[in-house]
Amino acid sequence: HMVYNSDDHKEDFLRNRRSSKGQRGVMSEVREKLGRTERVLGGGAQQLSCLHTSASLESKNWERRNLKVYPPQLPNEQRRAAEIHHSRRQIKYSKDKMWYLAKMIRGMSIDEAIAQLEFNDKKGAKIMKEVLLEAQEMAVKNHNVEYKSNLYVAESFSGKGKYLKRIRYHGRGMFGIMDKVYSHYFVKLVEGSPPQMEQKTSFDQAKEYVQSLKNRTIIHGL
Amino acid sequence: MSVSLCKVFPHLQNAEVSLDVQHPVPLFLPVRTKKRYFIPPAVGMKGKGEENTEAKARAAGIVFRQQYFERPINIACTAGIFDPYVPPEGDARLSSLSKGGLKQRTEQIRQSAASQLAIRKIKEHDSEFTTKDFSERAQEIFIEAHNCLTQFNKEKLHSLVTERCYPEMTRGNRYKTICWRFLESLEPPRVVHARCPDMVSKGNLYGQVTVRMHSKQTLAIYDRFGRLMLGSEEQPKDVLEYLVIERHLVNPYGRWRLHGKIVPSWAPTKDPVIKTVMIPGPKLKPGEEFDALNYSVPKPEAVQWNK
Repeated sequence: HMVYNSDDHKEDFLRNRRSSKGQRGVMSEVREKLGRTERVLGGGAQQLSCLHTSASLESKNWERRNLKVYPPQLPNEQRRAAEIHHSRRQIKYSKDKMWYLAKMIRGMSIDEAIAQLEFNDKKGAKIMKEVLLEAQEMAVKNHNVEYKSNLYVAESFSGKGKYLKRIRYHGRGMFGIMDKVYSHYFVKLVEGSPPQMEQKTSFDQAKEYVQSLKNRTIIHGL
Repeated sequence: MSVSLCKVFPHLQNAEVSLDVQHPVPLFLPVRTKKRYFIPPAVGMKGKGEENTEAKARAAGIVFRQQYFERPINIACTAGIFDPYVPPEGDARLSSLSKGGLKQRTEQIRQSAASQLAIRKIKEHDSEFTTKDFSERAQEIFIEAHNCLTQFNKEKLHSLVTERCYPEMTRGNRYKTICWRFLESLEPPRVVHARCPDMVSKGNLYGQVTVRMHSKQTLAIYDRFGRLMLGSEEQPKDVLEYLVIERHLVNPYGRWRLHGKIVPSWAPTKDPVIKTVMIPGPKLKPGEEFDALNYSVPKPEAVQWNK
């Protein structure tokens, strides 16, 4: 039979909802009452696994990557490149619109990225530039990076933040739920010069295509 | 909310439920009418009263911990070094056989009267206090404390080092790896100075004793990524140090703990960090240009300071 919700999952979810600060709406109280009665009746469904055990709403895993300490390197090893993770949460901007800017600066050196964002007309560009400058300062101050220009953007992406919901009024008494969108922006700076992406010419791609056609094996053929 | 519960589960009010159910029970329950629209709870809360949220929280059973608006004061140690010892110039440079060295030795043997008084006061409270014994203990405390620092053993470090010294020792070290080794002691440690200040009220005595140590040590600090920041593992350095050890004498559970170090004004400059650092340049008037060739970096003045 189809199971709508596992009990353990609901318990965790409720615990998170109760522990998080803020307004407890009407819906959460109703859901709590539902949960309590369901737990009593659905005793046979406890062998279901609970998937989302960590608090997925307040987990700051990206910032925690900055706290990782590596053991001391031996003198003959190659010098490990410094990695700085930085993010900004709950930016009042759409994650899809933010994605375009994030994709633009992937792989650029930090000076180039800051220059491009400074002269970009989008709202997210100003915010992203602030984030990059903050990350650069953090790198020099806290993470023992020698030259502040010797950094490049290794990873940059946007994520969905927590949305606020509002009513959008339509005609004839109809309404829709309007989402006030928020997004997160994550960036990882690595020390060194940006890696060269090998440029594939169209001739190379054509050659590869022809080669893949030639590599096909015909089974049960003569 | 009990009203809505009756509406939702009218037939379950008096049902007796057995907990050991053999066959699986469906998790969905028949509900009379399902609410098919959703109104966000934020709508309709035009005038939010402060008492409402507090009362709701209390009704729900959320208990907030009592908030203390106090500032903790630590009385187990003093805040600084009182009447610091001024080490004579060229302390470890002159050998005992030269004229300057002999003069230094005679001065040191005499030792100032205040120190003698202080040592006598300490002996009142702690009868087994001897300068020879104490200097060795001081060196042991120093070595133990630095070993704890390398292993980040916070509890033991707190017992070996006063609360004033602890943040100075550990600031900025959390995401770094420190490798420190004490190789040997070049000269036996010596008590050079002692003071017994009393804080706040008369009779609340703290004993501060300065011990002079000359030893060989290696220090290497690695940053978060395991890259060498300062020092080297193989190259040992001769270190002349003036440690200040403190104890709260009136407290029967007080222990002699490292309180700080005195750095004399004539100390040689430390080795530079393995990194190029930008220093702030001179303030230019509008229209002036920065002349890099004729600009000399200002040197900090040589002052004795205690860490």
